[in-house]
Amino acid sequence: MDTQGEIVSQSPYQGPGITDVVVIDDEESICEGCRQTLETGGYRSEIARDGIQGLKLVEQSHPRVVLVDLKMQGMNGMEVLTKLSEFDPSIVSIVITGYGSIDSAVETMKIGASDFLTKPFTPEKLLESVNRGMELSQSAREKRVTEGTAQPLRVPEKAPLNKQNVLLNGLEVLGQYYSLGLKERQFFSELKYLESEAEHHAERLGRVEEKEKTVLDIVHDLRLVDNIIQGYGYKKNVLIQILMDIQAELNWLPSHTLKWVSMRLNIPYANIYSIVNFYNVFNLEPRGDHIIEICMGTACHVRGAAGLMERVSSLLGVQPGETDSEMLFTLKSVRCMGCCALAPVMKIDEQYNSNPKVSDLKKRFDNYMGKEESS
Amino acid sequence: MIKLNSPHDLEILRESIVSKRDPNRTCVTVCSGTGCLAYGSHDIFREFRLEIEKQRLGEEVDLRRTGCHGFCGRGPLIVIFPEKICYLGAQKEDVADIVSKTIVDKELVDRLLYKDFETGEQITRIDDIPFYKYQKRILLDNNALIDPEKIDDYIAIGGYSAIAKVLFEWNRDDLIKEIKEANLRGRGGGGFPMGVKWETTRNVPVDPKYVIVNADEGDPGAYMDRSLLEGNPHCVLEGLIIGAYAVGSQEGFIYVRDEYPLALENTKIAIETAREYGLLGENILGSGFDFEITIHRGAGAFVSGESSALMNAVEGRVGEPRPKYIHTSVKGLWDRPTCLNNVETWANVPFIVNKGADWFKSIGTENSKGTKIFSLVGKINNTGLVEVPMGTTLREIVYHIGGGIPNAKKFKAVQTGGPSGGVLPEDMLDIPVDFDALTEAGSMMGSGGMIVMDENTCMVDTARYYIEFLAHESCGKCIPCREGLRQMLRILNSITRGVGKEGDIELLEELGEMMQEASLCALGKTAPNPVLSTIRHFRDEYEAHINEARCPAGVCKELIIYHINPEDCLRCGLCEKNCPTNAISKDEDEVYVINQESCIKCGSCMSVCPEKANAIVVENAFRPPFANDLPKTDVAATTIYST
Repeated sequence: MDTQGEIVSQSPYQGPGITDVVVIDDEESICEGCRQTLETGGYRSEIARDGIQGLKLVEQSHPRVVLVDLKMQGMNGMEVLTKLSEFDPSIVSIVITGYGSIDSAVETMKIGASDFLTKPFTPEKLLESVNRGMELSQSAREKRVTEGTAQPLRVPEKAPLNKQNVLLNGLEVLGQYYSLGLKERQFFSELKYLESEAEHHAERLGRVEEKEKTVLDIVHDLRLVDNIIQGYGYKKNVLIQILMDIQAELNWLPSHTLKWVSMRLNIPYANIYSIVNFYNVFNLEPRGDHIIEICMGTACHVRGAAGLMERVSSLLGVQPGETDSEMLFTLKSVRCMGCCALAPVMKIDEQYNSNPKVSDLKKRFDNYMGKEESS
Repeated sequence: MIKLNSPHDLEILRESIVSKRDPNRTCVTVCSGTGCLAYGSHDIFREFRLEIEKQRLGEEVDLRRTGCHGFCGRGPLIVIFPEKICYLGAQKEDVADIVSKTIVDKELVDRLLYKDFETGEQITRIDDIPFYKYQKRILLDNNALIDPEKIDDYIAIGGYSAIAKVLFEWNRDDLIKEIKEANLRGRGGGGFPMGVKWETTRNVPVDPKYVIVNADEGDPGAYMDRSLLEGNPHCVLEGLIIGAYAVGSQEGFIYVRDEYPLALENTKIAIETAREYGLLGENILGSGFDFEITIHRGAGAFVSGESSALMNAVEGRVGEPRPKYIHTSVKGLWDRPTCLNNVETWANVPFIVNKGADWFKSIGTENSKGTKIFSLVGKINNTGLVEVPMGTTLREIVYHIGGGIPNAKKFKAVQTGGPSGGVLPEDMLDIPVDFDALTEAGSMMGSGGMIVMDENTCMVDTARYYIEFLAHESCGKCIPCREGLRQMLRILNSITRGVGKEGDIELLEELGEMMQEASLCALGKTAPNPVLSTIRHFRDEYEAHINEARCPAGVCKELIIYHINPEDCLRCGLCEKNCPTNAISKDEDEVYVINQESCIKCGSCMSVCPEKANAIVVENAFRPPFANDLPKTDVAATTIYST
């Protein structure tokens, strides 16, 4: 993994339970409208009806973007903006204004607002502005790290994945987030999550341990998941496609990615697990570098697919559905690839072979093994 | 690309494409279906391009990659237009020869031509090859003419004119009437009339409505839907758009199996290019009709091909069926009216619109109209996709088109309808193939898989194969299906291992009837068919397994041993090289023998033994009657043989 040993803080991600946006407005209809629109855009939002309450909320949940109404009872928008920039300059604030005059807009920009929305605004307009704000906040956080405002931590050189190391690394990563403004409550929920992950990996995935998967890789995986989910616009009904995309990238579905999907899309983990279990495509175990598929369609069966499976299985010393100890080959049976003319057909890494001879297979497998050893 | 705003624009575009093409110009087409690609047709295509460039023929010769031609058993296929010269099984090395001989000198390359199995006569034109001669190719014909990635090719042969006709000349009622009149029945298995489905969906006063193409071709051994989507995706899109217009839907889905990457890719390209032309999206051809299509990748589950299960999967849930007290046409995807049909059914629609219901009705039998594509596979000489009018007899398909059974073996049965279907023995070869006749014969049409079996296919093993498949694919929601299949598999496993008991056959029959009655969905209701129909026609094979522990076809590996006949053995050593467990070695007399202890009976030696020698024999592992009393593990055939 090339991310190892790099500065951790360059891959900050959003932890679970973090509020993305806080909306501060004294008009209930505006608040509710914003909340719904933001939800469809995949953002978690919280609502405050006046400035004081709003700032409290910001302090508690540390959002990335804050929407502020300029004209409110009690503490007005200008004051809120000033306090906000004092509290954390990386929070991006967007002003909602009913006046829409250039003057007040310029004034708010001076004290740190990055954008303003004129009432009435469309849901599209709102999302556009918030999307931009999220990006801004991201780069602001990264900037803080590179400028040294937040002290970057280094994770030790490659460390094998056992519970202790995962926790150790996890603590460092979390320390990083802590320095970036994560609050104590979230810190502990993150920690708890990583702890369960560490246990899970150390116990269940002995093989991964050999490959020296570190907690950084896990963080990397989670970011990947986030990107994929974002690409589909946080829609729940594309869950299967999301899972397929994750698998296409990682070659299998590690449990931490599934849990992450569950959190991000707000779908119960049990539902996700049942889907992954139901469809043949998904793998809950890591797969080898070479995927060997043997078609078990009827045409292939009639022409001796079972024998072919026996041969390959005994050559590799691997049962169908399993991966060898070197993580080189995964043997799979597939129900009809639709190439019945080639029956019995076997696919090695996307390449179709019609009834391959054992002598050819031996050469080929030896070749793969030799190559892997020399590299 | 220009956006087409009226049927007139489409016509002008077509004319301009056609005017640039000379029908008498030499055009080399290389089949690029998955079958031919696996044989290396991609390299052949590249070689042609280089060779044509090298010989400076670019001005006179067109080169085209096309969809699947259907004769997959003899790929890669090359057809040279306008003469329609057909070369089979060509390799990269043959390309230079084809270019200089056939294209430049107008001579034939004899070694690549089709040779008749019996007479040895060479056939030049593709249409004269028996495999094609006895077919009536309506849907599949265009596969060979167009490059599936190029929408212009489809438009050149009249593509998308049916949409123009429907949107501007017909109203919705006319359209539904025409499809009902044509009596187009669903090609996915059930055979439900498409027109009736359309009408139901249309009449439900709920919006939005959805249309779906079911391309989750889960039936093992059938691949016509794959071929259509790969080779001519626009035809399916056109059908779907017409259907959407008829029922009043603005959103459609294509559910494609993940095992079909090329079909997925070509469909994606087709949707993009159609959208660029304004044949999809907002205001199609300036008619005011909007329609969008989304592709949904399936994730590999047989039961997800069932309509209600498929809709669950599109919604992002587990693809399990639900009870259909209310039809999916009324309450389908997200509980909205949804019209779902399979690929082949949708592909028929543009043809019916263009040529009329009367033309469609003139093909086929009384209650089954039009043509049907079958995938003729298994122990057959000409493996491939076969399109014939409904009502063609099995004998015509197997012997005239398929060229009979290879290696002079004896025909045993044809299996149709996939895991829900049944077997048809030799005395049923003369039944006309249509929806009703097949059901009457105890099988079913299914999606069109036709697996030919010869004397070396064990029918008990075949039944066991299907039940194993179904037991794995059953969603487990209802008990008759889940437990019924599990018990059936247990019994069939013991029979094929030679430890079946008297009464097992009757028990299987009883279980089967219960499942037919009580299962929730079509998967469970039809699941016992492979068992019941093999029992009906091949009861003697079951009895041989149970009473004599003998597999007459020599397949069930617990009941057979492989043996090398020293008299026939050529001492070539091929079997030794190809034995995965090194069970074959020379004895002191230089004769190869199989060590029964380490033999896993995979049949590798048999498949490599040279034809002229044929020295590997399968023998029944004799088992004395008292073996019934021994524990299972001790009745291994090898121990008995070595004594």
